[in-house]
Amino acid sequence: MNTKFLNRARYSRSLRTPIVICLLCCVVAFMAFTLNDNNLKAAGNKALPLIEKDSIASLKAFNQVYTVLMSARCMNCHPSGNVPLQGDDNHLHTMLPKRGQDGKGLYALKCANCHQPTNTPGLHTPPGNPNWHLPPANMRMVFQGRTPRQLAKQLIDPNQNGHKDMKKLIEHADDGLVLAAWNPGEGRTLPPMSHAAFKKAWLTWLNNGAYAPAK
Amino acid sequence: MEKTNTNFNRRAFLKASAIAGGGLMLHFSALAKFGLAERGIDNAAEWHELTGYIKITPDNAIKIICPNPEFGQNVMTSLPMMVAEELDVDWKKVVVEMGPHDNTKLGPQFTGGSNSMRMYWKPLRQAGAAARNMLMQAAAQSWAVPIEEITTKAGEIYHEKSGKKGVYGDFATKASAIPVPKDVKVKDVKTFNVVRHSQKNVEGAKIVSGKPLFGLDYKHEGMLIAMPVHPPAFGMKLKSFDASQALKMPGIKDVFTIKLFEDGFELGGFDTRTFNVILAVVGKTTWEVMQARRKLIVEWEPAGDTKDTMQGHGGKREVIVPGELESTEKQMEKMREYAAKPAQVLRKDGDPETAFKNAAQVIERTYNAPFLAHNCMEPMNFFAHVTDDKALLVGPLQAPGWTEPTLSKVLKLSPDKIEIQMTRMGGGFGRRAYGHYLVEAALISKQAKAPVKLIYSREDDATYGIYRPMYTATYRAALDANKNLIAFHVKGGGIPENAVHQNRFPAGAIDNYLAEGWEIASNITIGAFRAPRSNFAAAAEQSFLDELAEAMGKDPIDFRLELLKRAKENPVGKNNEYDADRYAGVIKLVKEKSGWNGPEQKQFHRGVAAYFCHNSYAAHVVDMTTKDGQPYVERVFSAIDCGIVINPDAATNMVQGAVVDGIGNSLYGGLTHKDGVVVQNNFHSYRIIRMHEAPKKVEVHFVQNDIDPTGLGEPPFPPVFGAVANALYKSTGKRYYQQPFSSPQPEIPNV
Amino acid sequence: MITLNINKKTYNIDADPETPLLWVLRDHVGLVGTKFGCGVAQCGACVVHLDGEAVRSCVTRINRAVGKKVVTIEGLSEKNDHPLQKAWLELDVSQCGYCQAGQIMSAAVLLKENKNPTDQDINDAMAGNICRCGTYLRIRDAIHLASELQKKGNAGL
Repeated sequence: MNTKFLNRARYSRSLRTPIVICLLCCVVAFMAFTLNDNNLKAAGNKALPLIEKDSIASLKAFNQVYTVLMSARCMNCHPSGNVPLQGDDNHLHTMLPKRGQDGKGLYALKCANCHQPTNTPGLHTPPGNPNWHLPPANMRMVFQGRTPRQLAKQLIDPNQNGHKDMKKLIEHADDGLVLAAWNPGEGRTLPPMSHAAFKKAWLTWLNNGAYAPAK
Repeated sequence: MEKTNTNFNRRAFLKASAIAGGGLMLHFSALAKFGLAERGIDNAAEWHELTGYIKITPDNAIKIICPNPEFGQNVMTSLPMMVAEELDVDWKKVVVEMGPHDNTKLGPQFTGGSNSMRMYWKPLRQAGAAARNMLMQAAAQSWAVPIEEITTKAGEIYHEKSGKKGVYGDFATKASAIPVPKDVKVKDVKTFNVVRHSQKNVEGAKIVSGKPLFGLDYKHEGMLIAMPVHPPAFGMKLKSFDASQALKMPGIKDVFTIKLFEDGFELGGFDTRTFNVILAVVGKTTWEVMQARRKLIVEWEPAGDTKDTMQGHGGKREVIVPGELESTEKQMEKMREYAAKPAQVLRKDGDPETAFKNAAQVIERTYNAPFLAHNCMEPMNFFAHVTDDKALLVGPLQAPGWTEPTLSKVLKLSPDKIEIQMTRMGGGFGRRAYGHYLVEAALISKQAKAPVKLIYSREDDATYGIYRPMYTATYRAALDANKNLIAFHVKGGGIPENAVHQNRFPAGAIDNYLAEGWEIASNITIGAFRAPRSNFAAAAEQSFLDELAEAMGKDPIDFRLELLKRAKENPVGKNNEYDADRYAGVIKLVKEKSGWNGPEQKQFHRGVAAYFCHNSYAAHVVDMTTKDGQPYVERVFSAIDCGIVINPDAATNMVQGAVVDGIGNSLYGGLTHKDGVVVQNNFHSYRIIRMHEAPKKVEVHFVQNDIDPTGLGEPPFPPVFGAVANALYKSTGKRYYQQPFSSPQPEIPNV
Repeated sequence: MITLNINKKTYNIDADPETPLLWVLRDHVGLVGTKFGCGVAQCGACVVHLDGEAVRSCVTRINRAVGKKVVTIEGLSEKNDHPLQKAWLELDVSQCGYCQAGQIMSAAVLLKENKNPTDQDINDAMAGNICRCGTYLRIRDAIHLASELQKKGNAGL
């Protein structure tokens, strides 16, 4: 979406109405290119229901979702390689624990060996969650390096998102591991917005057509 | 059979005594020369009494006491091996025991400076040979035969003519009454059965089965645990504390301050302490004390400039300890500033100024390295039980003899009332030569009126100081129009001291040579770190020689050998601190064993470096590849000349370990400061090399000669840094001037 | 009172359930083979087995160990003759020795799950155990040797 059109500083109020109309036309044109089959299936019919799908709201919400998913507390366990990331600077997790087949680590460096059901007290100690693991090797759910477009499409594709349909995707906002990002243990920064704000953005994105941005 | 040389003066004698229940216990009092080649320690004429214990029971049990405490170089095996060799016993039957602190009977008892083998070689052989001789005399008397007809073999005694035989134990009691011989023959080094053969670590089985061995493992009845609370930054001191919450915590006995030294206390070289006043939390168990520490409310304040009184050769002197809260960027700035100022001339040969003025080409490079923390795997700790009339201290310590006088003064107890027992150390690297933590443990015990084990957490330890200094050095070389090297200049500095060894190679090989040094005072405490000064000097110098060789169009090995040839045949100046032949020897050996220029080496990026320090010579060829996008040292070839190799496999282990340590420290090691606070306070941020970063192969070769053994703890370490830098150049096309090499490098080489 | 099963023995520990297992082993039970190196699960000196998995006892609170089997270096084998222990001695691995108990405990999990570990497997399993003395090459060789011994049913050494 070309946000230049929405820049109030550049255009006087009198031009707003024609601009909005232009916008809506652009959006229509856009939808023809950005909707994929799954969106249509989720929509349940062949026509594009302009009233129920709000691509502007959806994409705006996804911008927010993207900042959260690409923040350290989420992205660190969705690495592009087979070693989790660590820290606000996303460095490779010290001692290079490996994903393994099931995402739960290997040998003496299985995730749950150190990452216990709850956070370990103190600074620089392992944070905890009963379900600590990386995505499995056959569905790696990589966030690191994904553009907003790539990530959005990946998230709603059941073949890439852990076989989630729309219902499960919506529930995922309250998943234990997702919630853990907001309880990361002493000394770690939180995602860029509260969980409530994230959940709202997540649902807005999904419920308004789960659009993927142009890039 | 050689006679021992006249290293022993006329006061040399052996004392023997009987053990209760029969048997022979031999103390050997002799005066043996030991010299530590490092700066600040008298090289020439320090004589110390040495004693080794050999205990033999009538049942023929043989016990040999190790005088030096152990931190991984396996002195507990090598030193008794020397005794056992000359004693002529079956090594497999020998039991080794760590000796108590007793400098009268056991000698200097300092493990460090790569000195154990060198210092104890002659005295321990003497002890073994003398004891054997006495046993033979005893047998000769018992059997009424001439001693010339007596032979021994592995603890057994024979009179072949008559067929009589016995074991040492049979004669131990009788031998203890025999006057000790003054002039004892020792074996020809070519006939050794024990020494020069690989023997297993005498404590190996205990290590792999988890037996209590280390200071941290020591237990004493009624023992309490104490942990320190020290200022969070260099240059800070305690202002106030509120222990009311901490004292309410379960298991806590007391919280108080201790002051190590009164004003004006004359500090010796190993009395270094970063903080003179610290808090101590004392309780029943470690975890309870750790929890209680978190409840302390402590206020710190800048200490400002302070004054320390140092012992000195010419009498005491006062030093100002600056109060600045230092940060790394500012330190670097200050170093650049000082590097431009005039410095102290440490050596000058010929006329370097003119040579540089007339040079066709001048190459100048500056090298930098950060503070390094020792980070021994076992954090600092010591047990102390101090009462009004005596003190017992037990724990990991490299040199009890250097801390006992300090304890004596602080506790106001005479040395004979102070007993120090040395446990095995989980690493030393020089850190545990500084006994501040014994003084702390003793004062805490005294105040708590209880036996106390003082334990440092990793953060306490990593931020305490006594680091390897921060160093810089600028090297300049002058080439003439034919690319001959006509002058060489090193100007080195550091916080708080420089790393210049002015009499080491290439001094002696270049007509016009200048070495200068400067330093910047600091409140950041420093101490010996595995090959002090050398561990930086080798890195900088060996990188520079590599770059110089390239500028001159020479192979780096050929270039070094050319210089060494000059140093041998027509040396420049005096006091050249190395044997050019032996230095060239290790370079030639590593060239051969690594197949230096062979075609099959093309897949590797090779770097070479060599160095002499602590009386031994080492050269490495480092072969680098790229793994997962990172430079990886895949293999290393090492050539070492340390004279007679006492325990070949253990010596190989030492060299391999030094190589791994060198790779790790050169690539990753280092810490920074921010307003006096050490940023890297545990292993999540202070990076130590790990298994996957260690080479696949480190092939070690020793020069075979019969020279009296010199050390191995340090010498292989420094040149590794240079070889890694040189390999990185081949690997990346860039030269590396800033350690650790994984950190951002300066854009352009300076000039 | 917390009841723990350590090396096949039962212990009643009078300690806060939040106490790390490391300090209970060392201070309460008197098993000092498990070492303290960093306290933040970075160095591996404190590795013990909890129901067969390699946990870092410095961050594992004893309430996690209730109802489970704890095995320390002292209990790894009946007669200190686990193939790893034998291999460690055969190849004279240790220098200072402080890290080695943790190294062996981590390696034991590797050998249980992988009878033929490659160098890469060893890296994957052992990169969490720091050795400041640099004995990694020997540790690697000893793990290979131990896997051979394991196949021979511990015979041959």
